[in-house]
Amino acid sequence: MRLRASFLALAASLGLGLATPAAAQDTLRIRLNADIRSTDPGVNRDANTDGLVWHVLEGLVALRGNATVAPMLAERVDVSADGLTYTFPLRRDVRFHNGQPLTSADVAFAMERYRKRETNWRCRGDLDGSVTRITAVETPDPHTVVMRLERPSALFLTTLARTDCGQTGIFHRDSLNADGSWRAPVGTGPFRLGEWRRGQFIELERFAEYAALPGEPDGLAGNKTPHVERVRFTIIPDDAAARAALLAGNIDILPDARTRDLRDLRARPGMTVHSSPSFDLQIILMQTTDPLLSDVRMRRAIALALDVPELVRALTEGGSRPSRAPIPVGSGFHTPLMSEVPARDLAAARRLAQEAGYRGQPIRIVTTRRYEAFYEIAVLAQDMLREAGINLELEVLEWATQLQRYTRGEYQMMAFGFSARLDPSLSFEMFTGPKATQPRKAWDNPRVQAMLEDSMRETDRARRIALFEGMFRQLMEDVPVIALYSSTNNAVTPAHVQGFRSWAVDAPRAWGVRLARR
Amino acid sequence: MRRAPGVSGWRGADVLAYVLKRLLVALPTLVLVAASVFFLMRLIPGDPATVILGDAATPEAVADLRVAYGLDRPVLVQFALWVERALAGDLGRSITSGEAVGPLILARFQVTAAIVFASVGIAVLLAVPLGMLAAWKQNSWGDVAAVAAATFLLSIPSFWLGLIFLLVFGLWLGWVPVVGYVTFAEDVWGALHYIALPVVTLALIETGVLIRMARASTVEVLRLDYIAHARAKGVPEWRVLARHAFPNAFAPTLTLIGLIMGSLLGGIAVIETVFTLPGLGRLLVEAIFARDYPVIQGVMLFIAVIYVVVNLIVDLLYPVFDPRVTAG
Amino acid sequence: MRLRPNLLIGGTLLGFVFIVAATALVWTPYDPVRTNLRRRLVPPSSDYWLGTDEFGRDVASRLMEGAVTSLTVAASTVCVALVLGMAIGLAGGFLRGWTDRILGAVNDTLLAFPGILLALGLLAVLGPSRWGIVLALGLAYAPSVARVVRGTVLSIREREFVEASRALGNSEFYTLLRHVLPHTAAPVIVLATSLFGWIILSESALSFLGLGVPPPAATWGNMLASARPFMQDAPLLSIAPGVMIATCLLGVNLLGDALRDLLDPRDGA
Repeated sequence: MRLRASFLALAASLGLGLATPAAAQDTLRIRLNADIRSTDPGVNRDANTDGLVWHVLEGLVALRGNATVAPMLAERVDVSADGLTYTFPLRRDVRFHNGQPLTSADVAFAMERYRKRETNWRCRGDLDGSVTRITAVETPDPHTVVMRLERPSALFLTTLARTDCGQTGIFHRDSLNADGSWRAPVGTGPFRLGEWRRGQFIELERFAEYAALPGEPDGLAGNKTPHVERVRFTIIPDDAAARAALLAGNIDILPDARTRDLRDLRARPGMTVHSSPSFDLQIILMQTTDPLLSDVRMRRAIALALDVPELVRALTEGGSRPSRAPIPVGSGFHTPLMSEVPARDLAAARRLAQEAGYRGQPIRIVTTRRYEAFYEIAVLAQDMLREAGINLELEVLEWATQLQRYTRGEYQMMAFGFSARLDPSLSFEMFTGPKATQPRKAWDNPRVQAMLEDSMRETDRARRIALFEGMFRQLMEDVPVIALYSSTNNAVTPAHVQGFRSWAVDAPRAWGVRLARR
Repeated sequence: MRRAPGVSGWRGADVLAYVLKRLLVALPTLVLVAASVFFLMRLIPGDPATVILGDAATPEAVADLRVAYGLDRPVLVQFALWVERALAGDLGRSITSGEAVGPLILARFQVTAAIVFASVGIAVLLAVPLGMLAAWKQNSWGDVAAVAAATFLLSIPSFWLGLIFLLVFGLWLGWVPVVGYVTFAEDVWGALHYIALPVVTLALIETGVLIRMARASTVEVLRLDYIAHARAKGVPEWRVLARHAFPNAFAPTLTLIGLIMGSLLGGIAVIETVFTLPGLGRLLVEAIFARDYPVIQGVMLFIAVIYVVVNLIVDLLYPVFDPRVTAG
Repeated sequence: MRLRPNLLIGGTLLGFVFIVAATALVWTPYDPVRTNLRRRLVPPSSDYWLGTDEFGRDVASRLMEGAVTSLTVAASTVCVALVLGMAIGLAGGFLRGWTDRILGAVNDTLLAFPGILLALGLLAVLGPSRWGIVLALGLAYAPSVARVVRGTVLSIREREFVEASRALGNSEFYTLLRHVLPHTAAPVIVLATSLFGWIILSESALSFLGLGVPPPAATWGNMLASARPFMQDAPLLSIAPGVMIATCLLGVNLLGDALRDLLDPRDGA
């Protein structure tokens, strides 16, 4: 320690200080496991990109912590009785980072870019498809935006708020270059984009004129007042190095600690672990067109041979609840019926496999080491199925290769994970659909397809729940997939970080956080 | 091994002609690297569109993205376009981040080069004297100990040693920051802090390789007649080693240093990952995982050029150390 | 002949490793791939000599199994590298001219290719298997062999005994095999022993990047790579395979040095 101090003294005396202490005092440093792809909302993106962009841009509506939708830039949302017209009166106190006030023309401008094919916005198909189709975006006055739909849709507002759609963030036209390409976000969020040094860090600066909503922070909605001058997302790809960086005081928030490190981190003085159930889904997919697995008895045998609660307990060290339903446990649409996990039954599994003509031939399960959970699921499933005489063979692929196999449906079984789906219809839609046109879909059942489309149009909550329960029952009959659990986000902070909370999406939120160093 | 002309040192005109000839000979290699990387990447399953879209890859969205990146065209057309632009000095833009590939490579290479040059330098200064001493005392227990130590260093995986250092010096002693990087241009002292651990890690491992090489070639040289002559004439032993044995023994070591530099400059992905340095190796590995074709192609071409240049420099230095080398 | 320390120590260490591997072929304390979730990361005991890993697998059994896999992979890879490298090197050095130039360009291409890209490409074509790794690493190391062989061939192709063979009317191919090939043995054997160690480490680095011999099969390399997260909680998990790698490499390298001394024709003088 003394040596280090003399190093620093030497450095300071030579005018080569590592960082000016005053600036470091007010910089919140957060680990990011990989660089962001761009700052273009919902276009060239991944989860890290979404998590950065939501500090800078805001949409008309935003997600609450429980995945319901709240108004953000809109004062409120008025829906016509026929469900076809959505009116968004805009808040009048909102300014962009360049000082310009927010007007309906800005919203129309942003929406036009999102809806253009050339933009390649991830969610263009979701707002211009069979379920939801925007027919017009109108601006009757500078403070009102009206959107018209072709048919009523239960998904419209959720889609606008989805993080992978970049929250359909409203940006000032200065965000674009003269040729219409994306330059850098000029938004209305609590932080503005500072320096982005690729492969190293991205810095955000506090937006002093941010117009915060009253109340408490809630998901991406509510009060998002920034309390720190600067946020630095430090890119640290290696998990072990990230943990060391937290302990050495080089970062202030480790948003994604590994399950296996939690016990040790909890035991350290001053460290707080923040756990929240996520809306993702860890799952085993089965290819129903495979000669062997096309027999529903074989798929049922595999499901019965798995001890799901034991598997989930081992994988998450008790952090997540096992659930065979695709709707996350944390969702308001997860009903008691969906919490039922059938008991393991090795005898029945053997019998069913026998009836399906299974004679011990190897079944290949595709997995990867990119996401440790996928790999561990495959290893544990292999072990459990062996006890029922079912011979699983691991095929460990590199991630991009596995993704291609997934997209093309080229697998027998696959350990996989779906990113967070915030609407229960989407939780089923992600693996349900016609294989002929969408080979990645695991469940091809026309009757279920019809129920799914009903659930997307139905706006009555009780009737939607009835549809979801019906689909869940059918899922347990057909067993095209074995849903296991939704993972748990574990963020860790040292004592001087106050006001931080983890939430359903694993990327952190820097607003509402204060630094209280000595 | 290609050897440079000249009997003892170089004449200016020779050098120029030799360098030009070598560069000309290297051209097919560069073309081969470029072509094989291009087609190999397209044989490997997975493409940038599926990686970007992940679990929500609808066929329409994949098709749209492929059009946006020009991947819908026939592969040969794509290759011709890439070659045409590369010849004009434009390596394209990264699919992942939209950055221009050329400047991206140069920025990342600075980091890698700083670490590689520093660590190889340290390793040479440590390993060559040690290796020569071991050879001088060949088959003694001291020699065996030196070989054992060198082999031990060789047997440690770099990511393992790197993490140990990170824990000891970064976490327990707190001497250096665990993560981050600043360039020398910004802050010399800070940059030294950040590259200290990776440099020491690599230097130790390279020392292992070089000690063995230096020892082996010194053993060879010490058997030669002229050494015996020198000894017989009563030349002091230290002088035999320094003036007579060293120049000849160093030549093969130089070749190895060239090979090591070449392979390190092209990718110390593992070290860069452990120490979170934005270097060339990490860039390549991440690009491979993301199927970022323009970056992979650009980096591979760059690495091939580095190989050619490093080998050329080594061969140019060769006659300086090994007077036996004749025109080849 | 005097018994040299390097021959003695090298032979003992390598002998130990081979005995471990040979034992693993017939017996290990537990099934090395059998997981047991209730006994994860158990410290060493009389039941589990070296404890268990994160899946509750017996570390001692995996270490023994790993000896077989690592030695097989390394030995096969060395063979691939030697066969390819010697073919390229002999052809290039002996035939010279255009053959040499073309082979030289191919060789340099391979040298410039990082092993990871080769591994990825071959794994894609062959599917994930240890043979993909063998081929990829073999291809990656063949150029070094080729360089050494070519250099040796160039230095002896004009020697008297080669000329004599030609003068007797022997075909070029016969001369190559009968008179040139044997002289490449000494440098190649030394190189092969070094390759052995590099390959074990390369497999480990590939495992670290997620491209090594596919799990759950155990190699020392992938045991070391997957033990990294537990370095603080269960250090034995990384130390055990690390010690095995070091032992094996030390043995191979010392033996290599001893072999070189024995094979060196000048040594008898």
